Amino acid sequence: MAFSSMAFLFGFLPAVLLCYFLIPARWRAGRNGVLLLFSLAFYAWGGARLAPALAWSCLVTWAGGLLLIPGRRGRRAVFWLAAALNLLPLLYFKYTGFLLGNLNALGLGLAAPEILLPAGISFFTFQAVSYLADVYRGTVPPERHLSRLALYMAFFPQLLQGPIVRYGDFGPLLAERRETVPDASAGAARFCFGLAKKVLLADALGNAANAAFAAGDRLTVGLAWIGSIAYTLQLYFDFSGYTDMALGLGRVFGLPLPENFDYPYLARSAGEFWRRWHMTLSRWFRDYVYIPLGGNRCSRRRHLWNLLAVWLLTGLWHGAAWTFVAWGLYYAALLTGEKYLWGGALERMPPSLRHVYALLLINFGWVLFRAGSLGQAGEIISAMLGFAPGGLWSGEAEYFLRQYAWEWVIAVPAALPVKEWIFSRLERRREAGSRGAAALTIFGPKLLALCLLGLSTVRLLSSTFRSFLYFQF
Amino acid sequence: MEKFSQRAFLLCLLAALLAVPAGTALWSRKDTAAYYENRSLAEFPAVTAEALWTGTLGADLESWYSDHAPGRTTLLKADTAAQMNLLRRPSVNGVVSAGDVLLPFLSYEEREAEEYPPLAAEAAEPFGKLNSFIQSYGGTFCCVGIPEQRVYFRDRYPDYLSRHETEASAGDGAYARAMAEAGVDFLDMAAAYDAQGRPEAYYSSLDHHYHYYGAYAAYRCILDHLAEAGWDLPMLEEGDLDFQELPNPYIASRNRKLYNLWPNAERAVTGVQRDPVPFTRYDNGELSDRPLFVLPEADYLPTTYNLYMGGDFAETVLETNRPDLPDALIFGDSFTNALETLLYASFNETRVLDLRHYDAMSLREYIGLYRPDVVLCVQNDTFYYLGGGNNNVWEDP
Repeated sequence: MAFSSMAFLFGFLPAVLLCYFLIPARWRAGRNGVLLLFSLAFYAWGGARLAPALAWSCLVTWAGGLLLIPGRRGRRAVFWLAAALNLLPLLYFKYTGFLLGNLNALGLGLAAPEILLPAGISFFTFQAVSYLADVYRGTVPPERHLSRLALYMAFFPQLLQGPIVRYGDFGPLLAERRETVPDASAGAARFCFGLAKKVLLADALGNAANAAFAAGDRLTVGLAWIGSIAYTLQLYFDFSGYTDMALGLGRVFGLPLPENFDYPYLARSAGEFWRRWHMTLSRWFRDYVYIPLGGNRCSRRRHLWNLLAVWLLTGLWHGAAWTFVAWGLYYAALLTGEKYLWGGALERMPPSLRHVYALLLINFGWVLFRAGSLGQAGEIISAMLGFAPGGLWSGEAEYFLRQYAWEWVIAVPAALPVKEWIFSRLERRREAGSRGAAALTIFGPKLLALCLLGLSTVRLLSSTFRSFLYFQF
Repeated sequence: MEKFSQRAFLLCLLAALLAVPAGTALWSRKDTAAYYENRSLAEFPAVTAEALWTGTLGADLESWYSDHAPGRTTLLKADTAAQMNLLRRPSVNGVVSAGDVLLPFLSYEEREAEEYPPLAAEAAEPFGKLNSFIQSYGGTFCCVGIPEQRVYFRDRYPDYLSRHETEASAGDGAYARAMAEAGVDFLDMAAAYDAQGRPEAYYSSLDHHYHYYGAYAAYRCILDHLAEAGWDLPMLEEGDLDFQELPNPYIASRNRKLYNLWPNAERAVTGVQRDPVPFTRYDNGELSDRPLFVLPEADYLPTTYNLYMGGDFAETVLETNRPDLPDALIFGDSFTNALETLLYASFNETRVLDLRHYDAMSLREYIGLYRPDVVLCVQNDTFYYLGGGNNNVWEDP
């Protein structure tokens, strides 16, 4: 179930809120039970046939955790077995098609089964592995209650797109937490802002990106740039909007989730970008792959190998296609270059130039990420560099600038910490005794959140506007 | 104040979240169709084990909920107004406001000019066979191609929008040539209108159809064309008709998509015969008392293009009981509707088929059964290459 759907906003959400808050706060298990039941229903909404993968992962992780209690014999083997039993479904569902496709390209002629990818499998598998690793290391105790572990794995706000949560942060809150009005209010407002990011900005800019990536021979230099920038913005507002909604809902239920974005397009290097983008995934790879491999406390050669391995896996985690492999290797090359080749020169450049450097590289990277094939990525990048089949500019490029003029104008400041700047100024004026600033600080975000919820709902409804012209002839 | 604002905010939010399902539960049964979108609303899906297992239930429920949300039409209307007047988008709900006309937004993807001739030859082939069949019993077949409103006004599109110029020029030209090569008598109304100076009054600024004046010009051209082919048919001259502008607002297809928010004063026109030719009408085989112009009950009620003949029917028959005149068969799209109000007066019996809806027998069988003296095919040019429907004119016996 998508957050940006009528069924979620005006069906699932009020139902879960009512059921949850009608149960007395002291009956914690009851509230957790409500969250678990609704989380399972949330997942099964997309088709109950997808649920066995999640159930399997929950059971294996729970049982594995119990067998990893410190002092037991064979813990290492249990850890690897439980991790493998979690990773195997991910490998099967996500990479079988890719593997067979490549083998068939070599002429093997293998039959490729139709495999439906269970939603969110990459996320809940990584959470499961992190739990097993943390229990194995002894940093968190194993969870004895299957229902609590299942809620950790299936908590609906972050089930499908993260953020990737550690059990050490989440587990203790299942036993003891407080839901407060200030938290619920702040969380609900954040949810509305996230919804607006997704529905009002990302979806609109996505139309421009889709058109550019499908333009083929009509592609011009202008359209290629418009499409790639539109996708860069779309991806950020889509993913960070979802994260805002997840974090907002978590806060409403007294279960704060970790931040996933820190204005990534403010970055001045590829390395800084990855410290600001999808932070929970970066941390996961750092803690469970990069550091166990030796991190950077090893020979240069070994470090290069570690970087390559991590970024190859990062690319493949995002998708089973050569474009994602190339995208991962692209960042491996950039980070290696920044570490060993041009990092010093980059540091000496003016901040604005470093910013342009980072944005250009990020933008080219997203072309690789979005393209349907390496060939298409090559076409778009060639067009951006001036070699476009359609020439420099076209009416189509102008149309996408005009049609989404408001989204372009709003998207740029919305990707920057403008909200924080405004609030810090208002706070200063409020502290200086301004009643207007006080009222704006208190009521402004909430009123804006309600307006954005209304506008997003209208946009959701208008996306269902469809008329059948031929019916009229 | 902070506490109050937080509680008030949460209450407002919860009220909004609950109001929508409550409103849907109360009013969802009221509406079954979306008038402005011209479609049926989604029905509540059947809850089956298979739908739950595959997830189609969720998708279907989402469609149903979106369609039946309380105040949906009002919200979409307000959104359309904001998109048009506040945000000033070039295209709203797929409609482009191009100066004083409304045109459809067209995709930038278009065929190359050289792709049209082989497609046109393929499209013309069944018409050629139909023509031979009609000529075999002494009948006359004529195809009338009428430009759609977006083609007629294509020069009004802003430069940066696609106007499908290649389709309108190379596509239409190739089609006319292919029809001639297939031996079909093709009357290209685009050329005829051009010869008359492309009067603006011929086409609606709000609808994809022509205006009644355009239909009358087409009627004159058709009869002149048939006269050249040797048919001496009575013609309704301008003096025989009283062109009346209806007082009702005209809800045309393009403005309908904009929730009738585009300001205009366009009115539908009827050509009432001063000395009417009486007729007996049958629709889909049933005796019908529908007049030529189906008008609303009151002046304030809106009219649509459906006022001409009451809209599309699979089969309509108009009998004038004048056996000295030939019989005609007209088949084609809704551009025939306005023409029918005029053409029937030139024939003894006029049969009208819309092959998108008529499926009792094939066109060849129908013509073989009734053997009309004159067969007219009337299509707008955006249908030339679509296949199916009124292009489905021949199947080998």
